[in-house]
Amino acid sequence: MVGNDLVDLKLAAIESNWKRTGYLEKIFSTEEQRLIREANDPSILVWLFWTMKESAYKVLNRMTGIRSYAPLSLECREVQIDEFSASGQVWHPYGTFFSSSVLSKELIHSIAALTAQELFGISVTYHKNVLNYLEDYNQSSVSYSLAKNSMGLPEIINRENGITYPASISHHGRYLAIAHSGSLRSAG
Amino acid sequence: MDKEELLAELKVIVTPYTQDLTALEQLTEHTDFIKDLQINSANLVDVVLDLEEKFDIEIDNDSMTKMLDIKSAIAIIEEKLAANGR
Repeated sequence: MVGNDLVDLKLAAIESNWKRTGYLEKIFSTEEQRLIREANDPSILVWLFWTMKESAYKVLNRMTGIRSYAPLSLECREVQIDEFSASGQVWHPYGTFFSSSVLSKELIHSIAALTAQELFGISVTYHKNVLNYLEDYNQSSVSYSLAKNSMGLPEIINRENGITYPASISHHGRYLAIAHSGSLRSAG
Repeated sequence: MDKEELLAELKVIVTPYTQDLTALEQLTEHTDFIKDLQINSANLVDVVLDLEEKFDIEIDNDSMTKMLDIKSAIAIIEEKLAANGR
């Protein structure tokens, strides 16, 4: 199972004031807060940790069917960051998730899975965030289609053989990302 | 404060974070913050903080876990106000 989450940094700067009193304490552990406060660019860590947690939550939600708003039940650990990417783990009482992220001036995007092997098998495509993204995707993709199943959850379907892969869609501001397990290239 | 008043106060608080204004107009107890109002999950923290300020209550982590729709929000506010003897 795959989860992904992205933040458009330009929009986040407008719509979220993480410096607000009490904000960080509601979503980040003491250790996460320490790392954020000590960082050269704290906002990068805020949104990196946030997308890591959200992507892990999406896996958890899809596996258990349980919805909740509990960012403190997930903790980012052993996070390694370089200029354009990051990797780490997201701990939860249910299990530890593996995550990797892409960083740029415009966006931060994280993906998560329950095993490192599954994480490496995730394919991601980036799109413009438009309302009719489903039709857009299906018109532009020759081999695969994107649909929502009876539960309203997104799936990528190989048009040739009908093999279906659970997908995760995240959109914010200008961007939309679709992540799914299973290598599409070898699927045919 | 009765349910109608709470609902009206909640509507004011969620308005700046709401992306689906039609859902906001039709706000009921069953309205979901994320699915219906399309509130960004990072802004749900702001809703929680605004509620704390407005009602002078503390919404602990266990309560925040359930903060997904108007119905739960009302239940949490009522519980906290009652605990404060109001």
